[in-house]
Amino acid sequence: MVKLSEFALFMSLCFACITGVNAQGQSTKDGLIKQPPARQLYADTLLNKDAKVDNVITISDDNNESYTFSEGQLGDDDDYAGTTAMVSSNDDYFLSEVGYLFSPMRFRIRAYESMYNNVYANGVMLNDAERGQFSYGMIGGLNDATRNKEGATFLEHNRFGFSTIGGASNINMRASQYAAGNKMSLVGCNRNYLARLMYTGSTGLMENGWAFTASASYRWANEGVIEGTFYNSLGYFLAAEKKINDQHSISIATWGSPTERAQQGAATEEAYWLAGSHYYNPNWGYQDGEKRNARVVNSFEPSLLLTWDYKINDDMQLTTSLFGKYSMYSTTALGWNGNAADPRPNYYQNLPSAAYDVWDLEYTPTDDEYNDYMTRYNYWKASKANRQLNWDYMYFANSQANAVGGECLYYVERRHNDQLALNLGSTLNIEYNKSNTGTIGLNLGTTKGMHYKTMSDLLGADKYTDIDKFSVGDFGPSSDYVQNDVDNPNRQIKEDDVFGYDYDLYVNKANLFYQHQFNKGIFHLFAGANVEGTTMERYGHMRNGRAMEFSKGSSGTAYFLGGGAKLGMVFTFNAYNTLSLGAGFENRAPIAYNSFIAPRMRNDFVQGLENENIFSAEASYRIAAGPVTAKFTGYYTMLNDLVEQNAFYNDLQSQFTYLTMTGVNKVHYGVEAAIVYNVTSALSFNAVASVGNAEYTDNAKGFLISENEKVVMNDKVYMDGVKVDGTPLTALSLGVDYNVNGWYLSANVNYYDDIYIDASKYARLESVVGKPVIDATTGKEVLNLPSQFKGRGDFMVDASIGKSINLRGGKRLNINLSLNNILNNQKMITGGYEQNRGDSYADGEARTYKFSKNPFLYYANAFNAYLNIGFRF
Amino acid sequence: MKAIKYLSVLALSLFTATSCMNDFDEPDFKEPPFGNNEIGEANTTIADLKAEYKSTISANGAKEVTDETIIEGVVVANDETGNVYKQFIINDETGAIIIGVNDVGLYATLPIGQRVRIDCKGLHVGGYGYMAQVGGLYEGSIGRMGKSVFPKHVRLIGAPDKTQPEMTPEVIDESFFTNENKDNLAKFVRLENVEITEADGTALWAPEELAYNNVVERHIKMGKTNLVLRMSTYADFANEAMPDGKLNINGVLTRFKDYWQFVISSTSDIEQIAE
Repeated sequence: MVKLSEFALFMSLCFACITGVNAQGQSTKDGLIKQPPARQLYADTLLNKDAKVDNVITISDDNNESYTFSEGQLGDDDDYAGTTAMVSSNDDYFLSEVGYLFSPMRFRIRAYESMYNNVYANGVMLNDAERGQFSYGMIGGLNDATRNKEGATFLEHNRFGFSTIGGASNINMRASQYAAGNKMSLVGCNRNYLARLMYTGSTGLMENGWAFTASASYRWANEGVIEGTFYNSLGYFLAAEKKINDQHSISIATWGSPTERAQQGAATEEAYWLAGSHYYNPNWGYQDGEKRNARVVNSFEPSLLLTWDYKINDDMQLTTSLFGKYSMYSTTALGWNGNAADPRPNYYQNLPSAAYDVWDLEYTPTDDEYNDYMTRYNYWKASKANRQLNWDYMYFANSQANAVGGECLYYVERRHNDQLALNLGSTLNIEYNKSNTGTIGLNLGTTKGMHYKTMSDLLGADKYTDIDKFSVGDFGPSSDYVQNDVDNPNRQIKEDDVFGYDYDLYVNKANLFYQHQFNKGIFHLFAGANVEGTTMERYGHMRNGRAMEFSKGSSGTAYFLGGGAKLGMVFTFNAYNTLSLGAGFENRAPIAYNSFIAPRMRNDFVQGLENENIFSAEASYRIAAGPVTAKFTGYYTMLNDLVEQNAFYNDLQSQFTYLTMTGVNKVHYGVEAAIVYNVTSALSFNAVASVGNAEYTDNAKGFLISENEKVVMNDKVYMDGVKVDGTPLTALSLGVDYNVNGWYLSANVNYYDDIYIDASKYARLESVVGKPVIDATTGKEVLNLPSQFKGRGDFMVDASIGKSINLRGGKRLNINLSLNNILNNQKMITGGYEQNRGDSYADGEARTYKFSKNPFLYYANAFNAYLNIGFRF
Repeated sequence: MKAIKYLSVLALSLFTATSCMNDFDEPDFKEPPFGNNEIGEANTTIADLKAEYKSTISANGAKEVTDETIIEGVVVANDETGNVYKQFIINDETGAIIIGVNDVGLYATLPIGQRVRIDCKGLHVGGYGYMAQVGGLYEGSIGRMGKSVFPKHVRLIGAPDKTQPEMTPEVIDESFFTNENKDNLAKFVRLENVEITEADGTALWAPEELAYNNVVERHIKMGKTNLVLRMSTYADFANEAMPDGKLNINGVLTRFKDYWQFVISSTSDIEQIAE
């Protein structure tokens, strides 16, 4: 009855965590947990119990042609996060391979955030002006329609736009640029979706000067590999182009990807242990026996692109594009009202380790504590339903409230981030003479972001009043302070009504740039400069009770003027040796999304808001010696004066809290290498390495405000030395490629390490950390800072096999099977986050449950396969 | 054009295939999806239960119930506003008793007016400050039963209904405050024409600066008798002003050791008498 053996295992796991992870600023090289003998047993138990194949960040595509966005980059899990793609104008083996190769671990090149990578289409910028990132969900499922692209790194010349440190790419969406013919492909896989059907057809440029291209796709899973998730996504792309004469060409493209998908949630190691799988998903539960997920994303970003290509003369070409989109993006989440209990199954109070301090091995639990522990443990283990949400309970609670005229207890809210954007991009390419070419460009953009939440499902409740439940205890239910909209007090909310918060963010951007390149003999020079202006404004539609004078109406407009310059040189000594050097800096506006101190409720800007400063330099050497070609690059990037914001539920004050940091400084540096050894024309070996560091270099200023407070608190955040998270800082690969008779085979062994999770800024606040104490042995002042959680370094093996068959009449059949994580390594985290809660109560008394020892983790996908059959006709 | 033909066929089939995957009907409950629907008829009253464990209660002890013991009552106080925490109080025609459960948001299934049966077998009955309580064992004394234990011992009967006879408190006067009555608490009562001693129209119910262990003791003056009115800083109305003047108050009379205590679960239990 009492699972003593498993209990002992958990204890040893806890012990391992203490010894392995908590050694001041260090964590064990061999991974999550150091290995006392029982730990391996635990691991085996964990891994064998639910030996089903799980999860995925989907990757890979049709064939091994040129580098393409992998599905992982297309943001199956998150429309913003994910691997960043960098495309080079050169034939750069490293850049063309790593995005695909390392995508199972959500690798980001140089650990840059995705906002430092610009995506253009026909020369107009597509990145979201509020967050700075490109939303891959916009082109979800449109792989064929968006494959044709050119790219440039930060220090390379390009003909379409100004690139930032993460590089830039330009998707060519002109209908005439798609290969004439039809292509149908079918995918079967065990990932976020299970099947994909895609068709792309193009007329090519016809004799009458017209070209048409169309693509459609559908991705589907009634349940993906992660339990309780589904995927339902359509994609369409329609393009037409008319070549009017030799000088003028007009093209139009419209596309969109209406998608509905359910999400996976992270959990703590304890919950994974109890559930017997690293792919446990706390987001779903049973409703009347059916699985229902509380976190569902709905996204649809219908887009329109108009392009005018004007060849002024043989030496001058003008490309002008106008891009517009109306994006509708929402995520649902469970809400609980009044004094209702937190319904999440993995809420810490439900976990066994909340029964007593399992981390203190000197401590022997009392009988009561032990029994409490075992009761919780047995509850988790008794049935799957116990580990998941209980929708029936929530419906029942609401029906009970209805019976007595009470307020809704449980509901599903939908948080909307809609956006209307209009961008104009115009570039003039000039060839002055054989040695000199230049590109002058202008990008103008205006964006209105609409942020609000609606009542998605009242779960049968009759009554929901729009007040802030966290403020009720502080001000009393009848106070104006508790109103989310004082102008409409105690508003009764029905399904689809807007409630809670409702505001718009207006961002205008202008960017003027010039790029020049000069070639003479072995020498190539590239220089570029830009000037950019940004304005931002918040407009509130509600008069929030906690910010009555500064929540409704306009915030006023903030103006930012920035610019940058860069210089690159390439010395092509001979066909075998090339040296590239370059450096650049950029002074740019902070992103609007981080610029307001508590955007859901207030109009005021973050104090001391100023431009970010970025400096980056790199050097690379390319060498070809016989059958071996290699390229080595070293880079160094400083990001200074950044603004970052976190929003989280602060348990200590029972409030939703914003923590904004200003004066954030980071450094990213490292080396990249790619070596290809062509043994024969059919057989080659390759090695790819990215070894670097990315970390905060200083402590930052912190501004803290809770949604039920009126005053902003200033604090200091101990960020110095905290690592950039969510990507392996070390990624190595050894691979082999073999092609024969239309067959192609490849296999890779990859090693990843230095994977950190998102450090809690809250846990690093001066007010939380406390004052320095004198270390007994050294006599020096030390701070009791939490150590950042680091995942284990380990290997993964991937392989793919494909065959291309030419059929009669120019038709072609492509079959490709990709196998990822063949060794079924289920112990590698891709990221996660520390909890924004302290280990003690407000009065300093220690809590039983240790938030600092229970980070939320995401694990890389278990073994998975992806079969793609493509037919060209 | 071939492409357009293929595309239209594909588009048509896709649009028919694409329908919302996230539509759910409201569940229709034939019986409550919470609690133990197997629990049979009540076989004892609340007063009898208290009488049976009288010696344990008065010794501040705790004793496991080993016989088939089922009580039935209606919820008269719960944790909806946060003034009552991790417990609720049920009342039958013989009296009221505190049920301690180590969980929050109990009012989700147990709104005021909900009739319940409690299967006491396997639970503990005991006294905390001589106050009778059904719950679990905590360090040898009476405590709260575990969150996952509770559903096995409770059965919800019918829909909540505030018009049931058990919902009518007994109006008491000063003559009620005898030692004999003190030993048989809790009791759901109505106090008429009383005053809150500290109320002046602006004084708050339970401001943090006056709290000890998150509790502020206010007082009800009833003739010559002073009752402690136990207010929690976690109550939703903790920072609202107490009503002054003459009041009629519904609530549960309890004790802590030798003090009479009065518990309200919401300000709607209070009625100001127009002067």
